[in-house]
Amino acid sequence: MSENKSFAFFLGCIMPNRYPQIEKATRFIMQKLGWELKDMARASCCPAPGVFRSFDKHDWMVAAARNINIAEKMNTDILTVCNGCFGTLQEVNHHLKENDVSKEKVNQKLKEIGEYEYQGTINVRHIAEFLGFQIGPQEIQNYIVRKVNATAAIHYGCHFLKPSKTRNIQSPEKPTILEEYVEALGVKSLEFKNKHTCCGAGGGVKAAHPDASMTILAEKMSNIAEVKPDFILDVCPFCHLQFDSGQEFLNKNMGTNYDIPVIHISQLTAYCMGMDPKYLGFNYQTVGKKFFFTPSEEKQ
Amino acid sequence: MSNQELKKKRQFLTAEDFDKHYFDEIARRANIMSCMQCGTCTASCESGRWTAFKTRSIVRKVVMGDLTALKDPDIWLCTTCYQCYERCPRDVRPTDVIIELRNYAVKLGNISDPHRKTIEFLKKFGHGVPINDAVKKQREELGLPQLPNTIYKDKVDGNDELDRFAEVLFNISKKPNNDPENKEHNSK
Repeated sequence: MSENKSFAFFLGCIMPNRYPQIEKATRFIMQKLGWELKDMARASCCPAPGVFRSFDKHDWMVAAARNINIAEKMNTDILTVCNGCFGTLQEVNHHLKENDVSKEKVNQKLKEIGEYEYQGTINVRHIAEFLGFQIGPQEIQNYIVRKVNATAAIHYGCHFLKPSKTRNIQSPEKPTILEEYVEALGVKSLEFKNKHTCCGAGGGVKAAHPDASMTILAEKMSNIAEVKPDFILDVCPFCHLQFDSGQEFLNKNMGTNYDIPVIHISQLTAYCMGMDPKYLGFNYQTVGKKFFFTPSEEKQ
Repeated sequence: MSNQELKKKRQFLTAEDFDKHYFDEIARRANIMSCMQCGTCTASCESGRWTAFKTRSIVRKVVMGDLTALKDPDIWLCTTCYQCYERCPRDVRPTDVIIELRNYAVKLGNISDPHRKTIEFLKKFGHGVPINDAVKKQREELGLPQLPNTIYKDKVDGNDELDRFAEVLFNISKKPNNDPENKEHNSK
């Protein structure tokens, strides 16, 4: 809906509070692309779909509608970089646009918090869909100054494409959006076993059943390590956290020796667009601290 | 396990474990009733490959009105990956069923301590994952404002919206402490 090139930038929790380098990279690329990112003052947690929706679906919708309404007042679509935030905001937005009874109930409770009233006037977007489809592998060539010579294990995460009836981006059984996009940046995407399974973090499992969460990750990591990628590419800070801190956990507890860098699509894109590598923040992460991109086809 | 506990852990379900209408308010009830127990959900379940979590059996319990599902810690093993939801040939949407089942369980106070902690974080900081000093420093090094411009900053700036937010939302039941089964569940 926004005619001017701007987004309300939804920060969420894990990106600003654990991986600020993803925020830095996202701000950099959107500025280079000529899009303004507007602050959503007083936004809260989305709230996370795995935990808070499981506790009280109605309150989860109220808190999400509050966040959406902050952007509605700015008359701007929301941009998120996280599958969890996207999962909550896109789903609640989709549901409330079509369900007047829920909308009325949600708005009633919203009034108790402040001057909020969900309207249903904006859309919620994910950075991976924005880069992969709206900008696309062709147009991105006009903005990059270098490509990266590397192989990657792509991890889609769950809530970027699923439930597909609601997301309506691409089939989650054999998607290509990320592969086509990163290959346009020079990265070779590797096929590996059970590529599209969950990282094990979602659904409140990481918090309540860390043992089960790590068992799921252990299988995932062994499939990834088998094809020896230079890095894991994700589109979600929560998957990012799971892969990044999870590798250290597996090394300590399951006798592995993983050190595969974990890189968000924004970090990769920012590097290709010429961001100073010191802002990539790999040194803040748990594994792959010493990783650096090897550029190819550097343009002046 | 003591004799008393063994006695409590009955081998068979009894009539009191069923309430045909208990789950009537689950949205899309009609779809749930059309479950044919084919097991596509269980076969697609990543969590179920590694744990005792069986989606098919959970859906069956809801169809039957089997109330033991509400105390079953297994319902918290779903990572909400939506693989079953995508593949279900009868459009049962098992992920939604599990979410709503969890909502019922929480109303009875069946929620783990780490999850209660997450709610505390949300109420106190407006975020499920609050900021810490190390990240504040990293943000400065990256040229970002030390505190992200969110409801938590609003609170630090002296406003009270977060307090109203915390007062209105996610006021969940207290821990049931007279039930040994729940105590066991809560300590997990």
